[in-house]
Amino acid sequence: MPSPEVAAPDSSDASAVRYESATKRYDDSGEPAVDSLDLEVPAGEVCVLVGPSGCGKTTAMRLVNRTVELSSGDVKIGGSSVRERDPARLRREIGYVIQQIGLFPHRTIAENVGTVPRLLGWKKDRIAARSEELLELVGLEAELAGRYPAQLSGGQQQRVGVARALAADPLVMLMDEPFGAIDPINRERLQNEFLRLQAEIRKTVLFVTHDIDEAIKMGDRIAVMRKGGRVAQYATPAELLMAPADEFVEDFVGADRALKRLALMRVADIDLWEAPLAYVGQATAEVRAKLEGAEVPYPLLVDSERRPLGWLSERDLAAETVPARPDSPLGPLLDRDDVMRDALADLLQGEAQYAAVADHAGRIAGVLSIEIISEFLGSPAAKTEEQGAAERPQ
Amino acid sequence: MIAASLAALPLAAAGEVGEGFFRERSSETLPCQATNKLFCFDWAKENIGSFGTPTVQHLELVAISVVAGFAIAFALALLAHRRRWLQPPLLAATGVLYTVPSIAFFFLLLPITGLGRDSVIIALSAYTLQIIYRNTLAGLANVPDAVRDAARGMGLTDRQILWRVELPLATPEIVAGLRIATVSTVAIATLAVLASGGGLGVKIYAGGNLTFKTSIVIAGAIAIAMAISFDLLLLGIQRFATPWRRAAEA
Repeated sequence: MPSPEVAAPDSSDASAVRYESATKRYDDSGEPAVDSLDLEVPAGEVCVLVGPSGCGKTTAMRLVNRTVELSSGDVKIGGSSVRERDPARLRREIGYVIQQIGLFPHRTIAENVGTVPRLLGWKKDRIAARSEELLELVGLEAELAGRYPAQLSGGQQQRVGVARALAADPLVMLMDEPFGAIDPINRERLQNEFLRLQAEIRKTVLFVTHDIDEAIKMGDRIAVMRKGGRVAQYATPAELLMAPADEFVEDFVGADRALKRLALMRVADIDLWEAPLAYVGQATAEVRAKLEGAEVPYPLLVDSERRPLGWLSERDLAAETVPARPDSPLGPLLDRDDVMRDALADLLQGEAQYAAVADHAGRIAGVLSIEIISEFLGSPAAKTEEQGAAERPQ
Repeated sequence: MIAASLAALPLAAAGEVGEGFFRERSSETLPCQATNKLFCFDWAKENIGSFGTPTVQHLELVAISVVAGFAIAFALALLAHRRRWLQPPLLAATGVLYTVPSIAFFFLLLPITGLGRDSVIIALSAYTLQIIYRNTLAGLANVPDAVRDAARGMGLTDRQILWRVELPLATPEIVAGLRIATVSTVAIATLAVLASGGGLGVKIYAGGNLTFKTSIVIAGAIAIAMAISFDLLLLGIQRFATPWRRAAEA
């Protein structure tokens, strides 16, 4: 029933979530599903709870909206304990997205999105306006508003699920494997859309998944959990990949974690090499001089705007002046904003050792080489990994 | 049993009414009812008015019994939905009521409620309990767990989940139960006459004369028309109440 004193906050404020020795025991004899969990999720960040099935990550998440009740300890949202709240009212302030989506089959899309505002007693036209706004926010056409869930694809349904969770501008979002039942192509699209959305709305999000790649992609912080809801490591994705706390985390993160780190980096994050530049018509002797002691042993031909054109070969340099058409093609041209993993893929695919990197205007910003990447992978953090691997008998 | 024999009637009626009609017109000299033909048109024309009151009584018996039965069965189902341990005993109890033969039921009630409509309505209501109770529970159980979980997670109270989510989604099963209950009640209510409860049975067992065919055919036809009408009405209501099901099919 509408209750006037629970006016929904319409501002985009998010609250920190803090677990304080939170414990869930299903029966007195057995081991607790979540054992004395301490975890702090700063406001506005995405915290991914990741771990093997049965580790208690979903249980831990559900303690926040009291769909699972605490046995002992506490969970605080913005400093106030969830134990002191009426569960139904508490839940109206917390967005809830689940893997099976759980849209109401008998309600239209607009009605589904308006569920919580209706519970909060909003006026009809305000609910309608909010539904419309949210459908647009999650990238759904307005004409879907009058349809029923069964008429939508799985991806569209989960977008509605996210819109529905955001409807009353919740302080916290709980997302339990939200994209787990979506096909890989659409999953990636939904993940990207959610990241873009989150950059805008800055909610505090607890995101549960068993997929470490999804965790690395979605999380500002990742809590790797093991049986009993124990946190094996709580760190940023980069920290997790560079310095796994123990063997369990290392195994869970996977042997390819060095490569995963590349997925977290952009070309701009790394120190590029400087290429000896050559301009059309320039004397080759000048160019040869630049090659002395240069990091890149080939001169890069650029136009007057410093836009890369191609690589000059020995034969090119045999002439008096730099020719307008270089002997070797440019090969892969990267952007400073490219993700490192993709950049490496481009290098390998182009069978090139070097790739020119351009800035937004297309001007040369530096050169990326396989060597730079392998040096990066061989940095101290990556070396500890090798030692760890060597120490283990298998 | 009774329902089955009544169900056989439409075939007989449809096939033979016309035949009797033509014979009547062509050559017969003896009054039709004297030879007890399947359908005597003249008699029917003269006596059709006498079916009015039994038909109205029959309608009342069915309507009151089904509404009462629905109210009780629905309440029991909601109770059992909330308290699972009640499900087996309630199923057994309504099942026992369902298996008591109708005539025996009337006579069992005689010492308590006496002859007349009350006994009939009690018995007829009791027969509807099982099917409505079972279908309502099944409908509630068919609601996907994810929908219930989402509803709870969004802050609907248990009562709101029941009335806004579970019951609307269970409507098709509930109405299906109601349709079966109504149709069979129309049939069984023809026995009300045995407990002096009125209804179309009066015209079937008229004056202890079980064999006057024309009256039986007319009463049977009215009962069948009534059953079909109720069924279509309920089906229409269900269609109207569950627009999302049609949308999903399209």
